[in-house]
Amino acid sequence: MKLQRKLITLFLASFLSILFCGSSVYAQKSPKDKFIFPQLNPIKMPKVERVELKNGLELFLVEDHEYPTIDMRAMVRLGSVFESASKIGLASMTGRVLRTGGTTSMTGDQIDKELETMAAYVSTGIGLTSGYITVSVLKEDIDRALEILADILMNPAFKEDKIYLAKIREKTAISRRNDEVGQIAYREFQKLIYGKDSPYARHPEYATIEAITRQDIVDFYNKYFFPNNIIMAVWGDFSPKDMVAKIKKALGKWKEKEAEVPALPKVSYEYKYTINYINKSDVNQSNIMLGHIGGLRDNPDYPALSVMNSILAWDRMYKKIRTDEGLAYSVWGYYGANYQVPGVFRCEAQTKSESTVYAIELMLKELKRIREEEVSSAELARAKDEYLNSFVFNFDSRAKIVNRLMTYAFFGYPLDFMDRVKKGVEKVTKEDVLRVAKKYLRPDKVQILVVGKKEDFDKPLATLGEVNVIDIKIPPLKPQKKTGN
Amino acid sequence: MNLKKRLYLKLVLFLAIITVLNLSLVAQTFDAVKSRVKVHTLKSGMKFIVLERHEAPVVSFHIYADVGSANESYGITGISHLLEHMAFKGTKIVGTKDYEAEKTILVELDALFDQIKGEKAKAKPDAKKLEEMEKKFEALRKKAKEYVITSEADNMLMKEGDRIINAYTSNDATQYIDSLPSNKVEFWMAMMSDRFFNPVFREFFKERDVVMEERRLGVETRPTGRMFEDFFATAFKAHPYGHSVVGHMSDLENITRRDVEQYFKKFYGPSNLTVGIVGDVKAEEVFKMAEVYFGRIPSGPRPEPVRTKEPEQWGERQVIIEAKSQPRIIIGYHRPDYRHKDNIPLEALANILGQGRSSRLYELLVKDKKVAVTVMSFNGFPGEKYSNLIAFYVIPSRGHTSAECLELIDEEIEKVKKELVTSDELTKFKRGNVKSLLNEMKSNSSMAALLTYAEVVLGGLDAAFDQIEQIRAVTPEEVKYVANKYLIKKHRTIGEIVPEK
Repeated sequence: MKLQRKLITLFLASFLSILFCGSSVYAQKSPKDKFIFPQLNPIKMPKVERVELKNGLELFLVEDHEYPTIDMRAMVRLGSVFESASKIGLASMTGRVLRTGGTTSMTGDQIDKELETMAAYVSTGIGLTSGYITVSVLKEDIDRALEILADILMNPAFKEDKIYLAKIREKTAISRRNDEVGQIAYREFQKLIYGKDSPYARHPEYATIEAITRQDIVDFYNKYFFPNNIIMAVWGDFSPKDMVAKIKKALGKWKEKEAEVPALPKVSYEYKYTINYINKSDVNQSNIMLGHIGGLRDNPDYPALSVMNSILAWDRMYKKIRTDEGLAYSVWGYYGANYQVPGVFRCEAQTKSESTVYAIELMLKELKRIREEEVSSAELARAKDEYLNSFVFNFDSRAKIVNRLMTYAFFGYPLDFMDRVKKGVEKVTKEDVLRVAKKYLRPDKVQILVVGKKEDFDKPLATLGEVNVIDIKIPPLKPQKKTGN
Repeated sequence: MNLKKRLYLKLVLFLAIITVLNLSLVAQTFDAVKSRVKVHTLKSGMKFIVLERHEAPVVSFHIYADVGSANESYGITGISHLLEHMAFKGTKIVGTKDYEAEKTILVELDALFDQIKGEKAKAKPDAKKLEEMEKKFEALRKKAKEYVITSEADNMLMKEGDRIINAYTSNDATQYIDSLPSNKVEFWMAMMSDRFFNPVFREFFKERDVVMEERRLGVETRPTGRMFEDFFATAFKAHPYGHSVVGHMSDLENITRRDVEQYFKKFYGPSNLTVGIVGDVKAEEVFKMAEVYFGRIPSGPRPEPVRTKEPEQWGERQVIIEAKSQPRIIIGYHRPDYRHKDNIPLEALANILGQGRSSRLYELLVKDKKVAVTVMSFNGFPGEKYSNLIAFYVIPSRGHTSAECLELIDEEIEKVKKELVTSDELTKFKRGNVKSLLNEMKSNSSMAALLTYAEVVLGGLDAAFDQIEQIRAVTPEEVKYVANKYLIKKHRTIGEIVPEK
């Protein structure tokens, strides 16, 4: 972290001192004067190559010769939503042990040592609806790094000792999951929205971790890790032709499969107004979340929702609750839209126990207001200008560009999706914002969660409605299952 | 030993040799960047450092104010950070409908705040009088608010496409960051020269409440937050590294707007500000604009560095936080500041012991003995400018204790004091640093941060250059030497979270 900054020393020579001679073409302006901005230099779009290997592995490549490094990031179609309810944690453990559990020719520890000695990083992991593989390496080490990567992906050993270690990690995380308020609030709110047993919100327990065997991990890997189930972005100091050849050499032998990855589980949601409370007796600040189900990104209303989000988060939640009232450091409101599965509409704030109910009332008031009256011209202009004027930052690194294309391809979105959103944003009107706020926000049917110490609240939570108390006690492992770890 | 393993070892040895050689190849990349860095110092002492980078039509700005919580004293802890918040509240021009009218009310508010504090401090405060005054205070505050254009400065920057409007305060520094399309440099100059030379600390009392919420969020409701706060307070009995950046709650309650103004006057003179600008700009043009917009500001005296030095520690210290939480432990040993000759060997020591999956402590505590899930080590804790700590942080695994972890760390520390580290381990340190540095240089914003850091913290580039040589030349003997010199029980502090019964 800090160390790196100091290493600037590696390349800084004595600074060139420039003698300044006085004559200036600039005259001092007030920030409120009108500025005529010079023409912005054009965005240089790099050439992105899209290549599919014979085994179905899809590549997006872009060359970037600024520094002698090469990076890769791949997405895999799989996820914890596909694990069985009795083995929650299987996907996460598979993602971890794929990298740590060694290969048929090297142990995981040998891989760690060799990669770190090269200052190379290879990591794998599995989330809810996708897995990832990343590689980051100095250019000169790319061949060896690719060999190791291929070995990990094609010949993983899933050694028992590292499975055991991964179980310790999972069980430790379970034992610590109620240590901090923020973590509790996020986890339990997801369960309120998607349902506590939903694949999109459930979490491991000691028993589900204990139930996982090495064979489960091997099966999970076999089912989902094959080249035609992976899309990879590659960027750095190479020529695309050479790089494709190198990847072909390393991963070309990997056999494709005909297997079908199942469709993602459906989300069903019933709008309802609920008040939920989790007791945390050792805090002086409440963590508040409220909201309901969100939507999908390919919704034609997404540009208008993006503008609404910007106004809701900044002009309404932040300015009113933080700046005007001083009630919270962090306050937020956002209609979440995901690529494939409905996201979550969530407002959140952390406020001292004594202003808990007041803050909730203010948040609800702002939600009602944004769907009852049009936003102001200034709010609309600020939100749209910000989006459009900062659009150029979507192209400020080649890594960003190639990763975006890969992500769109992975989720089956048009590759020019972002430009379509931009065109949409340009056209958004005040009427549009009001229309989508009315259509998608339901302040009368929000689910409210408060984690905190109710004895210190300004008013009883019950003034908002009937309170459902959530028990977050961690279910212990059944005694007969004791295996010594 | 089987054949495969021996081959593997050979390979590693071979790699170690070529990697050391190739470090110098990477150095060529750095040389190429270095020749493009340009610096310009205004008469007032304010420095502008520019790196032209024409990859995309954008630019990032980094203002490094050489002031942090280490510059604070009792009674005003947290004021550096509070001032950072106040810097976004506008100026005589921005954020107000009528500054002259607003000003009168702000002054009245300040006077009333003093009176309320005075009444509260009495042996027998008059409750009725207090209530009246507080009512009047609230009414005045609302009246002042009528003149405010809420968050106008932020709005103006956002409208022009500022992607990252942010700031952060540490023990050592206060840093302000922005990124804009590269044709808006002059607009940024106008905004920032106004911000730093015409500030009005309006909406003071509500913003102070926000900072109090930040303290509750980061320190008081978070067991690790409480642990770090008490840990520093224990490790530093004299030096201001002993108090947290966010400050004590009672100080936040009592700091006045005048305190902030005086603090600003003392620490935000042009000679205490350094600006890094990286992106699609022309250095010459940037310097011309800097002269026009910042050159008008008269210079002032550079503030005196922190006087207090942490005295030698007389014995091991320990502090315990009881919390509804699983255990955690942090161990810190005193070490000198970043300009000391032992700095680089200490960095190597921290890296070899506890950075990465193949570091010694990770291998021992996590992989081998399985008593921990996380172990890491770092320097510059909590700051870098003054003598600080080399620290080890451990999250024990379920069913294991901090004491077990500490015992193993002690064993490994004894080993590194007796035996030389391997050349492989040193290579890992050297290459790892080069790699992370390259990664940081890929973004305009982090590059701008790097430039100001090198200038201010490392004390200029000549000193910085000496460190390069040290990194390249660091030896196993030096690592052993600093391990023996600094990793001494008498000079350490242990902080622990102990689960509340």
